[in-house]
Amino acid sequence: MYITASSTISHQPTFRNKGFSSTISALEPLSELVTPDYSAFIQAMERRRMSQVLKMAITCSIDCLEQAGLSQPDGIIVGTSMGCCVHTKNFLDKILSANEGLLSPTSFIVSTHNTIAGQISLLLKNHSYNMTHTQNSLSFEQALIDGMLCIENGSSHILVGGADEEEDEIYNMKERLNDEKIHLTCGVSFFILSNEKGKQASINLVDVGSFGLINDFSGIIMEFLVSNKLSPEEIDMVLYANSEQEKTEELKTLFGHGKIFDYQKITGTYFTNSAFAMNYGIDILSQREHPVFGEGINKVLVCNNLIPENLGLILLANKND
Amino acid sequence: MKIFVTGIGVVSAIGLNAEENLRSMKSMVTGISKSSTHNLMLGEVKLSDEQIIKMFDLPNEDFSRTTLLALLAAKEAWGNNKHHSGIRTGLISSTSVGGLDRTEKFYFESPNDKSSASYKLMTHDNGRTTERVAVELGISGFIGTISTACSSGANAIMQGARLIERNKLDRVIVGGSDPLALYNIKGFSSLSIYDQDICKPFDESRKGLNLGEGAGFLILESEQSIIITRNKPHCILSGWNNAADAFHQTASSPNGKGAYLAMINALIKAKITSEKIDYINAHGTGTGNNDLSESIAIQKVFGDNIPPFSSTKGFTGHTLAAAGAIEAVYCVQSLQSQLIFPNINFSIPMKETGMLPETNYRSNVSVENVLSNSFGFGGNCTCLIFSNAN
Amino acid sequence: MQDLKYELKKQIIEELNLQDIKPEDIEDDAPLFGDGLGLDSIDALELVVLMEKYHGIKITDETVGKRVLSSITSMAEYIQEENAKSK
Repeated sequence: MYITASSTISHQPTFRNKGFSSTISALEPLSELVTPDYSAFIQAMERRRMSQVLKMAITCSIDCLEQAGLSQPDGIIVGTSMGCCVHTKNFLDKILSANEGLLSPTSFIVSTHNTIAGQISLLLKNHSYNMTHTQNSLSFEQALIDGMLCIENGSSHILVGGADEEEDEIYNMKERLNDEKIHLTCGVSFFILSNEKGKQASINLVDVGSFGLINDFSGIIMEFLVSNKLSPEEIDMVLYANSEQEKTEELKTLFGHGKIFDYQKITGTYFTNSAFAMNYGIDILSQREHPVFGEGINKVLVCNNLIPENLGLILLANKND
Repeated sequence: MKIFVTGIGVVSAIGLNAEENLRSMKSMVTGISKSSTHNLMLGEVKLSDEQIIKMFDLPNEDFSRTTLLALLAAKEAWGNNKHHSGIRTGLISSTSVGGLDRTEKFYFESPNDKSSASYKLMTHDNGRTTERVAVELGISGFIGTISTACSSGANAIMQGARLIERNKLDRVIVGGSDPLALYNIKGFSSLSIYDQDICKPFDESRKGLNLGEGAGFLILESEQSIIITRNKPHCILSGWNNAADAFHQTASSPNGKGAYLAMINALIKAKITSEKIDYINAHGTGTGNNDLSESIAIQKVFGDNIPPFSSTKGFTGHTLAAAGAIEAVYCVQSLQSQLIFPNINFSIPMKETGMLPETNYRSNVSVENVLSNSFGFGGNCTCLIFSNAN
Repeated sequence: MQDLKYELKKQIIEELNLQDIKPEDIEDDAPLFGDGLGLDSIDALELVVLMEKYHGIKITDETVGKRVLSSITSMAEYIQEENAKSK
């Protein structure tokens, strides 16, 4: 299975900037979203009800379809933990201020979790499979597994994305992650999964695992590698987000000091940041000789342990590997 | 490959378990009544959060009602099942409210105190409400949550079947849960589609929906799994499909394109023709738009041979993400007990279609294949087909 | 009347978040829905809220709503009629 397009809008200059993994550096403390000009992608009448996350998602989707030279995907799958929570908060505020008066419905109707996947289908006039997964830190991995099922069942090209917006008022991310120091950001990443190699560079999506309520971190990683007939030595790079320092030590023991990299330095923290990490991995793999990480990187494992009890694993490889 | 249904559990305004739900429908008693707190017709589950917490002897922590309702139905479905090292068991739930019922409570109680941590709740995210159910059922590993508005429950069931089919899981608890939330009551009211009386699905004079709450869960198993569990299958899940209407964020298309595609493709998946369907549990929310669009799609699929159909939302209210799961349980019961559920409150057929839903509780009918429709915001259309196991 | 129409245009642009549109771009008699400004059924609900919020006028009947909310002129005329009634 191949990844034939990828697109990220984030707090980093990632959008339409192939090779970004060699130029971007760790996030600055007060970083802000780097947005493209949405009017180049979405008409004003369509844009007016869209929240930031929706505009980001639609723009990334269009970018992916262009990269892959597709007019329509055979399925649209989105992973989002918090959905359109800015609109949720708007509507809560409206309920509070309206008392018994009439309520404006717009925030309500665009606040459902599946607004993103639904709006993409609406704009593309796409009637195919349309799904939204919402499993906090594993939302993107769940979406990716669904996309793989679609390809295994015979679909040719599936649009899969991870999207979350920043909303600090109704949900206390810092408390949830038990860390006051985290750098809250937001981001959207979309990909095309295909049953055939693309015209341009494409990467193998070897396997994806989503494990909830785990009790054996290293054990699950080993089992995942074994099921893919791999040993830890064969993994060239591990991009990780860890909830606890001891897990980082376990990764060092498993893979070696030099091979692990904390992706949250690049992505910041939001529930679907493993989608950004996956694009970062793709970008590294796409460069034969990486200016920062050197040559010979052919297999990348994205290891998402943002929440202590949940573990997501995404295994990427160069297509010829 | 066959996907066996070996367990069902349901909680709704008309009963706290599968047996009670069936009995209420047999006696044609609706669960929708005027709520004193909201002055609106609602399908409330007649158990408080405290009662459910006590019932299951749960620890003293902040539970979303989404979790509590899900526990009632999931535990009923799970029954005497045991964990087994040879069976990969997963949980896929679905919800649209998630922990918003708790969030809104604190938000409205202390609107000026937005900086305090008191209302910044950790139950808010949907996935958390599912994980809490997994903890109680002793499940770890594959735990997922679907949120596609009013088709969520049906989609969770479909996901479970797809994962078994591709040999990713052997047994999976699938379903959905949604409590009543002021957020949705105000939201649907703002769309001017809330009926001030009990809803009248498929009736010419229908004015809109009533919200309800509840949960429904099924146990799906592979052939290898039932060899180990020795569970007796109630029926099989033979067909499923999801399609996008791609017409409007909230309204269904006039020609019912998404619904039509989902029904046709579910029939293809089940490898049966439309004449083989003996009963349709329609989405039938009671809104002008849904019932017309769905009727037109049914006409296109079934032509002159429309099987008996009904919406059970006149009993339960529209339970949003739980609806597809609760109605899937009803479909299993239809096959198990060979009966067809009534569409209450119907008197005048729609002028556009003239279609007549089944208005009587009919038992002793031959039911081999049933179709369940679920459609949601964002044009999300899902159809499931359940068939006799033999 | 012209002032009222201009106010209405400004309110519509604000409430419906019509980006890139100025009051001058909206013609008094052009249809608000469909081919004219291109509003949809959700906007119709928003306009009902707008009529109550800014002008204290409740529209509860769908047929009345369709007639009144068809153009800027029809909205302005209805506001004047209703205001005259309540005087």
